[in-house]
Amino acid sequence: MSSLSVRSRIRKAHTFLNMAGRRAALKAIDWAAFAERVPPNQRTMFNNLKTRSDAIAAKLTSLPEKPPAIDWSYYRSVVAKAGMVDEFEKKFGALKVPEPVDTQTTVINGQEEEANKTASAYVEASKARIAQYEKELEKFKNMIPFDQMTIEDLNDTFPETKLDKEKHPYWPHKPIADL
Amino acid sequence: MIASLHDFCPASSLLSVLTTMRPEGMRGERRGREGHREAETRVPRCCRNLVLHPSDMLSRLVFVSASALKSSGPIGAGVVHASRCLHTSSQSLAPVPPLPEKGGKVRHGFIPEELFQLLYPKTGVTGPYMLGAGLLLYMLSKEIYVINHETFAAASIGAVIIYGVKKFGPSVAAFADKLNEEKVAKAQEVKDVAMSSLAQAIEDEKKEQWRVEGRAMLFDAKRNNVAMLLETNYRERVHMVTNEVKRRLDYQIALQDLNRRLEQEHMINWVEKSVISSITPQQEKESIAKCITDLKVLAKATQAKATA
Repeated sequence: MSSLSVRSRIRKAHTFLNMAGRRAALKAIDWAAFAERVPPNQRTMFNNLKTRSDAIAAKLTSLPEKPPAIDWSYYRSVVAKAGMVDEFEKKFGALKVPEPVDTQTTVINGQEEEANKTASAYVEASKARIAQYEKELEKFKNMIPFDQMTIEDLNDTFPETKLDKEKHPYWPHKPIADL
Repeated sequence: MIASLHDFCPASSLLSVLTTMRPEGMRGERRGREGHREAETRVPRCCRNLVLHPSDMLSRLVFVSASALKSSGPIGAGVVHASRCLHTSSQSLAPVPPLPEKGGKVRHGFIPEELFQLLYPKTGVTGPYMLGAGLLLYMLSKEIYVINHETFAAASIGAVIIYGVKKFGPSVAAFADKLNEEKVAKAQEVKDVAMSSLAQAIEDEKKEQWRVEGRAMLFDAKRNNVAMLLETNYRERVHMVTNEVKRRLDYQIALQDLNRRLEQEHMINWVEKSVISSITPQQEKESIAKCITDLKVLAKATQAKATA
């Protein structure tokens, strides 16, 4: 029992939720808000998670928290063997049911940190993409209107329209198929 | 079209051709339009625009020479504008002013309006016409221009061309404009689609970032699940302990009961057996004799009852 408590103490130092000892307060999860944030391609995974969580929660609520107390006085009166009931009672009271060992919370926390890292990387990339899109949007916004452009302005704004006069020196300066 | 008209009037054509000349562009077709007779000061605007088109060196030269020829009020302004056209300062005009919509205004198709404006202060409205008539008469009388068969050919061809341009000019111009409009509309559509798709892409990226923010919920759910499983397991264990203890005690009780019952039965059997074995043969004979006499008495009694 002492080794277990040492281990559980160490684990308590590492886990972030199970600080209150055995009865870790379960965080209330807003499944509706969670569902909103799930992208459509991960919806099946989310549904599986939800069903699993619901099953676990149902199992938990079906078990009463404390088992019915043993009626020691009745047993004491009925059982003939002297001292047996007393001995049982003493041992039963002294017995501490060991808590199940929590191996997964650290794993989950590790996963969370990893996810945070990838998420921040993704957000950075996303921000870069947004900056690029905004730059192009600005270019489009600040463009002079088409009816005030010359061909030179058009070639400046859209470099792909520039006619390559070296490659195709004769009019129309592009392959006939492209006309 | 304007160029062909000017072939016949070389002197005054130079100015007008070059004032109406613009760099080639998407609006090139527009400049072929005819029919602008209204007076309008063209010098400042075209000058400003020409500043920005390095390909237009020739017109700048023309203005330099034109300003050198003139000497009255508008010329002062012309000089100022000419000097502006010459990039005397290192700065260039920005933002780029829009290109002019129409070509330089001309009267009678080939005489630029600027000439009339130029001569108006000194000679009034009829001044340039008098100048033109005088020049014409001078050239004819002095035989600087000799009338020959070419004159009549030129006159006929000129008449036909002027008639053709007057009749079909606007429709051709409209057609050309329509082509241009289609090009512009297509480009505009491309631009609009691009802008809307970019805006949509930005929105989508922002939404994805918002989605990513919800990742904590997933891990909360997982940890909750783990905690619930542990709690369930613990409760199951406690329940199991209680149940086992109860079962043990109940077993003891059942065992006790069984023992007692066995003892009882055994005792009863034993008592019975001992009683039976304790019945001696003497006692047995006596009891049998007693039974027979009892039976006889009973038989007599029943017989008596039966007959009575």
